[in-house]
This record gives sequence, structure tokens and C-alpha cells, in this order.
Amino acid sequence: MAHQRFRRTACVAATVFGLAVTGMAQAAEDPITLGATYIRSGSAAGYGQFAEEGMQLAVDEINDTGGVMGRPLAYKIEDSQGNAGTAIQALRKLVYQERVDALMGLDSSGVAQGVVATVPRLKKPLIVTHAATPDVTGAMCNPYVYRISVNIQQNMAGAAQIAAESGAKRWTTIGPDYAFGRQSWDLFGAALKKANPEVTLLDKTAFPRFGAEEFTPFINAVMAAKPDGVLISLWGGDLVNFVRQATDLGFFEQDMTVMFTVGAATEVLTALGDQMPEDVWLGTRYWFDAYDNPMNERFVSAYAKRYDKPPSYNAEGAYAAVHAYKTAIEKAGSTDGTAIAKALSGLSVATPMGDVVFREGDHQTLVGPTWGRSGVMDTRFDIRSLTDIHVFDGADVTPPVSKTGCSL
Amino acid sequence: MSGLATAALNSLDIGLLLFVIAVGLNIVFGVLNIINFAHGALYMLGAYLAFTLIGLLGLPFWVALIVAPLGVAVLAVVIDRVLLRFIYGREITDSLLLTFALLLIINESTRLIWGSGIHVIDPPALLAGTLTLPGGLRYPIYNLFVIGVGLALLAGLWLLFNRSRIGRIMRAASLDGEMAATLGINTRAVVTGAFALGAWLAAVGGVVAAPMRAIDPGMGDKIIIESFIVVVIGGLGSFPGALIGALVLGVIHGFGGRYLPEINLILPFIGMALVLLVKPHGLMGQKTG
Repeated sequence: MAHQRFRRTACVAATVFGLAVTGMAQAAEDPITLGATYIRSGSAAGYGQFAEEGMQLAVDEINDTGGVMGRPLAYKIEDSQGNAGTAIQALRKLVYQERVDALMGLDSSGVAQGVVATVPRLKKPLIVTHAATPDVTGAMCNPYVYRISVNIQQNMAGAAQIAAESGAKRWTTIGPDYAFGRQSWDLFGAALKKANPEVTLLDKTAFPRFGAEEFTPFINAVMAAKPDGVLISLWGGDLVNFVRQATDLGFFEQDMTVMFTVGAATEVLTALGDQMPEDVWLGTRYWFDAYDNPMNERFVSAYAKRYDKPPSYNAEGAYAAVHAYKTAIEKAGSTDGTAIAKALSGLSVATPMGDVVFREGDHQTLVGPTWGRSGVMDTRFDIRSLTDIHVFDGADVTPPVSKTGCSL
Repeated sequence: MSGLATAALNSLDIGLLLFVIAVGLNIVFGVLNIINFAHGALYMLGAYLAFTLIGLLGLPFWVALIVAPLGVAVLAVVIDRVLLRFIYGREITDSLLLTFALLLIINESTRLIWGSGIHVIDPPALLAGTLTLPGGLRYPIYNLFVIGVGLALLAGLWLLFNRSRIGRIMRAASLDGEMAATLGINTRAVVTGAFALGAWLAAVGGVVAAPMRAIDPGMGDKIIIESFIVVVIGGLGSFPGALIGALVLGVIHGFGGRYLPEINLILPFIGMALVLLVKPHGLMGQKTG
């Protein structure tokens, strides 16, 4: 009996001691953890995959060069399913269960509109790396939310310049039927009218359901309106479906200026290959071939080597956000959520797109889109190349804080 | 005028493809009394197998059209024997839970096997390009082929159910399985066969859709919603209901997208609500216990 009790005590002692030792070992190299939510399932799962690859690359780079404040960096990703409710739950789980130190992510404007207002309660900063609705750094802005990627307003300001130069007078749009498609058209129309008051914005617009698959009726409706310029804000699988169906209907043979607001997304270009027609305008938040700086060179070559494809804008956004957090945490000298959030304000961060600044007034970085015309096939990656590349300067395409509707 | 004709043809190719998929859902419900949530996932598997056979192995489209649906049908037999047979007699909600789990398993497996990227395959050379119809109407040849496949399957299924012994046995098994078994019919084989037929139809839909739709890990989820709308409009478990429901939804998409693009988002649901108000069991549905 006594013998047995002794054995049990010994076991408990050993376990407690063992735990204590592991605990100490963990404390010595306790990682700083970034929590992210991206779309990891369904049609747009590729966007989450690119983001994770961008994060992974940045985290490994930082850990290879000594980590952040001497501590290693780690990350956790949760699926948002492209749904605001799921994304809110994912962020809560990351903060309260996984105990992450800072947050990043968000793939869709619809998700962002639901999530942004809930972030201050979590007391952790969130860097948006993809979702582009201006509301994030406009009407819904708050002290904890930042955006490192190009927003719709910036992209459409660039698009309007190209549209104004194209000479096309009668414009219409085809876009997904939610915030992204609607706001793209509204902001494009406003910017284009300002650049050239003579243009006509047609009433005949088409907003198919996101994920509609069958775009033929909408394409016919738009062609029947005889525009000479069409702005297309479809993205992901929708864009792939659209391009193939539009090709069949002779859409690209019409005498029209065609502009795809996020057409130079590498996942779409990879899927379509040479089925993406030549000589249409393709926009993107980031184009791997458009920036001439050492960081971009390093990022693109490391990414291509590791994943055998060029980095998409989503990969770049995630990669840049991880680097932004390293800079911010070191500036704050702390991993306290509120302190990191404060440190991000007005911070200048080196990214593949050059040095970018999180503007103090609305937390939007001053970044601009890249637009170019689709050219011959890029044989290295088997996608269309971009020619006639326009890289817009963030300062030129970002409205002043007073016009964003944000008050911090 | 040509606008109307294009919209009509468009409604027909959307509708008949939906018919091919939704009729499988209805056959499975009719014979097994199971609402198969994983039906869209089987459609997706058909498309991914076609992508593997055509895009990766370089086989002709026609081989994929035969092989991929057969492969999915074989998988369906396994699913039936390993999973579904345990819930045959149970409440319909149990089948919803089980097939929903199946949907998640197939979706995630697809992502693990084929990755999360978007893939495309080309139509066979014979069906590529567009045809100028009398009246100067330009229409993609492949979409006309889809209409042809839909009509052929419609005729084939009608013959199967009305003119063949197997079809009559299936109908008998669906009306009263116990009585059919008492009469010496091997209902187990009939039931498994019906599930395999349903899966085969979903996969045929997937292969046929593959050259005109983006192949991605969410394509099954998109089609299952459409299929349920078809079934609600047409009537659950009804063969003519699947046809009528699919054509109604085809017209809603074909004409709605063309002439009412501003409200296209809610049109299918308005259609569904109207049908439910007038005929709560769908246009062709029957009251069941």
C-alpha cells in the first residue's frame, strides 16, 4: 500500500518537474505569434494559399535573421470561408484561445465590412492585406485597424486616368453584386467624370451574383448597350469564367476599351494562360515585375524558388504585413496589442512595393495600383506579361484624410 | 429579336445542365429517401477527374466523358455500402447530417489532392468556337452541345423509367420497398444502383460543365444550391419536376441576367417563393407523409 502511494507520488513529482522544465524551455524562446484569417476553402481558397505562402516566407526570413526582439516569430491561420461571421469567430479564437499578439488578413470587402468594427474589443491590431473597400480606412476606421494593400479608391483613381486617356466615352461595368463591385463602379465613375466631364456613364450595368458561373446573359446585355469602355471588377473563379464565356461571344473583338480592375491577379492569369486575351487593361494591387528595389528582387526570387510561381498581390500583402509587424513591435518595444497598434500609426515600412507609410489620419498606406496591357506570354511562368506598365504613386491616387470619412 | 433568341438558347443550356444534375438528386431522394448534400461534391469530382484525364494526362474529352462519371459511380457504390446503408430506414435529417459530412470530406480531399488553385480545360476541337445560326445569331458550339447532352439524357432517363424493367423496378422500390422485396426483387441492388446512377448524372454534369466553367474547390457548393432551388421549384423526388424546375431556373438566369441584371440576385428566390406560395410541394411535387 505504502509502496504504491510512494510510486504515485513519484509519478506526480516527475510530471510536475517535467512540465516545469518544458515551461522554462518555452519561456526562453516563447515566439511572438501573428494570427491571420484568410479564405482557405471554397472557390477562393487560392487567395488564402497565396497569403499563407507570403506569411511563411516573411516569417522564415525574419527568423533566419534573429527574429523580433530576439524572439522567434510564428503564425496561425484560420479559415474565414469568405464570410464575415466566420471571420469574426476566427479572430476571437486567435486572440482568446491561441493567444496571438497581432492580427492580419481579410480577403473580401464583404468580410471586412463585418469584421472591422469588432476589432477594437479584441485590443489587438489588425492589418488588412487584401480587402479593398474604402470603408476600412474610411467610415469604419478605428485605432486598431490598418491597411497595407491598395484600396478600391486608389485603384479606381489610377483606372480613371487610364480610362480618360483611352478616349472611350460611353462606359459601363460588369462586377460582382456586393460592396466590391458596386463601390468599384461608383468610385471609378466619380473619378472619371472629374478627369473628363464629357464621358457618359451608362445606366445599363451588370452586377451578377458572386459565384454566378453563367455570365453569358450579362455579357450579352452589356454588348447590346454598345459601350466603348467596360470596367470589369469580377475576380477569382468568376473572372476566369467570364473571360472564357466572353471570348466565345466575341466580346473582345468589339471596338471597346476593356479594363479588369484586378485582372493581373497571378492566380487568374495562371488558370487562364493564353486564354486571357491580349491588349486588355489589367489592374492589380501589386505586380511582381513592376518594382525595382532590392527587397522586391529578393522577395520575387525567393518566392518563385520556393513555390514555383510568381507572387500574387495577396502574397505580397501578407509578406509586407509580417514585415510591418516586425518594425512596429520593435518600435513599440512591446507585444502589447494597444502598443503595437499605436506604433503602426505613421510608421514607414520597407515592402516589396518600396517604403510605405501608414497614414496617421486614416491608417491607409499611401500605395498605388499597377495597370498594364496584357502582352505576349511570359514563358518563365506561363502567364500573360504586362506591357505599357503604369505604376501609380500612392500620393497621387489617395484622397486626403478629410475626404475619406474617417475620424480617428 | 436576336437578343431574345440568344436569351432563350442560353436559358435552355443553363436549364438542361441543371436538369442533368438535379435529376440525380431527385432519383436518389425518390429511391433512397435521402437528400444528398454531397451531390454537388460528386459533380465537382466529375469535373476534377475530367481535368486530370484531359489537362494532365492529355486524353481526349470523349474518353473523360465516359471514364470520369464511371469512376464517380464506382465511388458512389462504395459510399453506399460503407456509409449510406446504415441510415436507409432512418429519419431524413440523419441523411442530411451524414451527406453533409460527406460533402466536407470530399471538398477537403479535393483541395488536398488538386490544390486550391483554379483550373480550366478546353472544349474538344470539334466543339470549339462559335456557330452562326440562321438570322446571324452567334452562339458557342459547346453550349449547343450541352443542350444536346441534356436532351439525350432526358430521353434516355425517360426510356429507362418508363420502358425498361430496371426502371420499373426502381419505381416499384421507391413506391414501396418492402412490397418489392416481398415480391422477390433484390431491392438492395436497386437502391445501390439508384445512388450510383444519381452520382453518375452529377459527374456527367461536372464533365460537361468543365470546359466552360472554372474548376475550383468551391464549384460543388455553388451547384448544390442551384440544384436545391430546382428541386424546390419542381418538386422533391419528381422526374418531370426536375425538368420543369431546371428550365424555370434556366429562364430566370437566361432572361433575368439579360433583361433585369439589377435584380438578378433575388430572382431565383422570388421564383422559389412564388412557387411555394401556390404549390407548397413544388410544381410537380406530391404530398408525402
